[in-house]
Amino acid sequence: MEQQLRQLRQAAIAELPQAQSLDALGDLRVKYLGKKGSLTAILRGIGGLGPDERPRIGQLVNELRAEIEALIEKKADELKQASLAVKIAADTLDVTLPGRRPPLGHKHPLTLTLERIKSVFMRMGFDIVEGPEVETDYFNFEALNLPPDHPARDMQDTFYITPDILLRTHTSPVEARTMQSVAPNSPVRIISPGKVYRVDYDATHSPVFHQVEGLVIDKGISFADLKGTLNQFAKEIFGNDVKLRFRPSFFPFTEPSAEVDISCVMCAGKGCRTCKGTGWLEILGSGMTHPRVLEMSNFDPEQVSGFAFGMGVERIAMLVYGIDDLRLFYDNDLRFLAQF
Amino acid sequence: MRTSINWLKEYTSFTETPEKLADMLTMAGVPVENIEYRGEGLEKVVAGQITDITVHPNADRLFVCRMDIGVMPIPIYVVTGATNLKVGNIVPVALPGAKLAGGLEIGIADFRGIKSYGMLCSADELGMDAKIVPPELRDGIYILPADTKPGDDALAVLGLDDVVLEFELTPNRADCFNTVGLAREVAALTGGTLKRPMRMLREEGREKATDLVSVTIEDPSLCPRFTGRVFQNVRIGPSPAWLQRRVQAAGMRPISNVVDVTNFVMMELGQPMHAYDYSLLAKGRIIVRRARPGERLTTLDGVKRQLTPDMLVIADAVQAVGLAGVMGGLATEVSASTHTVFLEAASFNGASIRRTSKALGLRSEASIRMERGLNTADIVRALDRAAELLAEMGACTVCPEVVDVYPGVQLPRQITTTAARINARLGVDLPTAKMTDILRRLGFDVETKAEKILVTVPTWRNDVGRFDDLSEEVARIWGYDNIPATTPVGSAKPGTQSYTQTIADRTKDILAGLGFSEIITFSFSHPSVYDKLNLPDDSGLRAAIPILNPITDDFPTMKTTLLGGVLQTVAGNLSRKNDDLRIYELGAVYLPKSLPLAELPAEPPVLCGALCGKRAELAWNQGREAVDFYDAKGAAEVLLEKLGIGGCEVRAGEYTAMHPGKTALFHKDGELLGAVGEAHPKVLDAFGIGRKVYLFEFDVTRLVKHAVLVGAYRSLPRFPAVARDLAVILPQTVTAAQAAAAITAAGGDLLAGVRLFDMYTGEQVPAGSKSLAFALTFQAPDRTLTDSEVDGYCRRIVARLEESFAAKLRE
Repeated sequence: MEQQLRQLRQAAIAELPQAQSLDALGDLRVKYLGKKGSLTAILRGIGGLGPDERPRIGQLVNELRAEIEALIEKKADELKQASLAVKIAADTLDVTLPGRRPPLGHKHPLTLTLERIKSVFMRMGFDIVEGPEVETDYFNFEALNLPPDHPARDMQDTFYITPDILLRTHTSPVEARTMQSVAPNSPVRIISPGKVYRVDYDATHSPVFHQVEGLVIDKGISFADLKGTLNQFAKEIFGNDVKLRFRPSFFPFTEPSAEVDISCVMCAGKGCRTCKGTGWLEILGSGMTHPRVLEMSNFDPEQVSGFAFGMGVERIAMLVYGIDDLRLFYDNDLRFLAQF
Repeated sequence: MRTSINWLKEYTSFTETPEKLADMLTMAGVPVENIEYRGEGLEKVVAGQITDITVHPNADRLFVCRMDIGVMPIPIYVVTGATNLKVGNIVPVALPGAKLAGGLEIGIADFRGIKSYGMLCSADELGMDAKIVPPELRDGIYILPADTKPGDDALAVLGLDDVVLEFELTPNRADCFNTVGLAREVAALTGGTLKRPMRMLREEGREKATDLVSVTIEDPSLCPRFTGRVFQNVRIGPSPAWLQRRVQAAGMRPISNVVDVTNFVMMELGQPMHAYDYSLLAKGRIIVRRARPGERLTTLDGVKRQLTPDMLVIADAVQAVGLAGVMGGLATEVSASTHTVFLEAASFNGASIRRTSKALGLRSEASIRMERGLNTADIVRALDRAAELLAEMGACTVCPEVVDVYPGVQLPRQITTTAARINARLGVDLPTAKMTDILRRLGFDVETKAEKILVTVPTWRNDVGRFDDLSEEVARIWGYDNIPATTPVGSAKPGTQSYTQTIADRTKDILAGLGFSEIITFSFSHPSVYDKLNLPDDSGLRAAIPILNPITDDFPTMKTTLLGGVLQTVAGNLSRKNDDLRIYELGAVYLPKSLPLAELPAEPPVLCGALCGKRAELAWNQGREAVDFYDAKGAAEVLLEKLGIGGCEVRAGEYTAMHPGKTALFHKDGELLGAVGEAHPKVLDAFGIGRKVYLFEFDVTRLVKHAVLVGAYRSLPRFPAVARDLAVILPQTVTAAQAAAAITAAGGDLLAGVRLFDMYTGEQVPAGSKSLAFALTFQAPDRTLTDSEVDGYCRRIVARLEESFAAKLRE
């Protein structure tokens, strides 16, 4: 009987790996392990053995069964892998065909630029405050130390609705509105984005454009703080390598006043067409809040000081994205918008 | 303001290059806009006097000039075609080897057998702007001033070896609108000293000015000071070379000695002046007064001007003879026959001058300076300077005494401060001595007493009134670059924004995700847009705010709706073949409370969008279907859902610019949030759009009111749901919403979802009916539902549909 088992084992070891398909392997399983299979036949013969032989042979039979099953399993796995490999080899796509794209929306580049500006300043503790676009002469000019007939009013050609109501020429009126909405001498730290209007319409001027005003008031605020704040802003927007230059200037609502230039983002300050060869690009106006402006909104310049700044969002977006034509922002051509 | 390097060097010495100087001044708040190298590229042009002119023997139109070029007795001969020359004229001669404007090189040329040893030059050939050339010299050869010596470098005579700095001054720096003021800045920056022009005036006239002229100021608030001098034996003639070249460097044209001197002194000291022919001033009387109603004046430029009583005039005993501070009158103009001149130097109210020059569209070098304010205390110095120059060049005899009416006496301001205050404002730590040094260099009188700095502000610095202004003076000369950069102390909490802002930002994010691109349009509109939008005549949206001075005829009013701009953008894009559009604008409209505007209008934010074209982008594996109403509505539904606005009631209705049968109104708690609809065919036609467009508009203020940005979480079901499909045939008149509502009502608490997944009309259903198929989901929170239980609910639903709508279950 042991002899039979040995022969059966050899036959199985020889035959099973030769199976060419899962069906053939199934047949072999029946042949060896099925109800009428060889091993089963041997098992049936166990009954004729003596009681001391029976368990040993029984164990041998079981071992062989396990071995054959393992062989079948292994072969089955091989056959499956092989058949899968054939299937996979035949199953291909032209992966260069374009993908199926969901429709994509785009925020306006001015919105994207404004979001970045807001984010930089909010992290520095600035609240976002908005003001009306149709504004009074008082808030747009007088409260900012621009009395009637002030020559600096010429700097901003104004759209008027009535002699006292106008389209704001800058976002600066929000300074006075904010100061007058809080208790005198309270700390203020705001930026105010929004549309502004000037009577100017050509390739480089739009009658509607966007500004962001900034105002910080507290005890002991200095011009050095203004420099530090705007440095950080410029580095976050234009990158760490950007250099800043503060140039003395004049605004009726600040004293001292400064225009801020950054090293040209196109040529890194070497001089090119964008910076007209100077290596510098003007990006904003700023200064220490004029004491008259504080006084007119019931703040005491002896107690607190502040700084303010104002920048054009279009200007910054043009520099950030390298846009060379201001009119594109309001043209709303989808081929332009879809680039952002 | 223009001045030149050579001119500045008359008042302070420096060695900086023009570029370096320009940079220093710019960084000190005196911005140089342009550096102009006059006569750039010109070489070897000398002054030559014509000693003889003969007609060319072989050419009628050519002349041969014998020239003395300073190396007599050897003359040279030059051939010219010019006809404006006389023997004795001194002209620029380009010698062989000379270079002229435009790169022209001069050699010895043969003109029909006669050699020309150079060329006589016109202003154009010397690169001179016609604006600074007297009209009679614009065409022919330029004739040099009579005091030029043959052999002199003609470029130097004309100032074409000089460098002009063009300044773009800020309005506060009135003191820099003259060369001496600019030289003071240069000296302060370079450490040089300022030499102001000397006064050496001889008054040799027979009569006293005060006996010849009497001045009355009727409105002292408009004229704080009026001064004048009288010159007799006036000989009007051309100015000497030095004066002409200064006037030209300043960008003006030499006219005559008297006019050139007044212009020169204005550019040197900043004081505008005006010369009158004294004999034409009735009774030697000068009255400074407001113009009379209906009064007219012909100004120097020959224009007859209608005056109004808010304009200030200079009048004689009879009539207005000048527009104060803006322009003189033609009638009393100095001419070649003038013998006696009255020279006015006055200070007028800047605001009044500004209004007048604006009203008349007349801005002059004088009015620009008047507007910004003069050094009123020092007017007589300028008057004397002009007198001295005219006497020195033999143009007149100066009468003794100055006519001076000075009702608005200007006293120097005094400011007391400390170094500590200035340091605190700037964030620096400068010693007192450094600050006082800077201020003194700028002409401030400074004393120190213990900690205190006592400053007397010079009368030419009207812009400096308080300690803050002094801090700027210190900062700009010390250098803004030398101030450190620090972080402001105070609150370290992150900033906040309004809830409306947050909702607006969120809305833009959601719409980007839905494939919509944001547009931004001008806030302006035109009444014709309201017709295009098919607005009824009495629509409130027609009440738009008019702008007094619109930018163009296309934009006379402020927008009351975004629909016009959105549709115009659609039309614009379609014309550029951008066919598939999903766009929106989120912005303000401007709604007046009443017109004309008495108070500020409301500026509510509105969301408005449009869709048209294909649903998916053109691709090999995507359908070509066009968007329809339900794409627009679906976008609106997702937007509202993502903003946390649930439970909106949607019903058919009418809305601006939309098709009355294809418009859905969204209500929440009885309030209209907005609408979605197909654009009205008439509206599309009016905007020139030849395809279907779907629109939506929402009131952002109401969205904000109902939005719930952070909604509460709903626990996930723990027991499986049971799904049933239900198809029913209903009359066409029953809306999907009515059917769904009936199902929901009959389904009971365990009906968790009702979704319409098919709608069919056609052969399979009777005419006038439609089939609606709903996917129903039943779910219990505490157990698994049995089929028989769910079947019971479904029977109840069918029964309700049959009862309410005579519906039939579709098998």
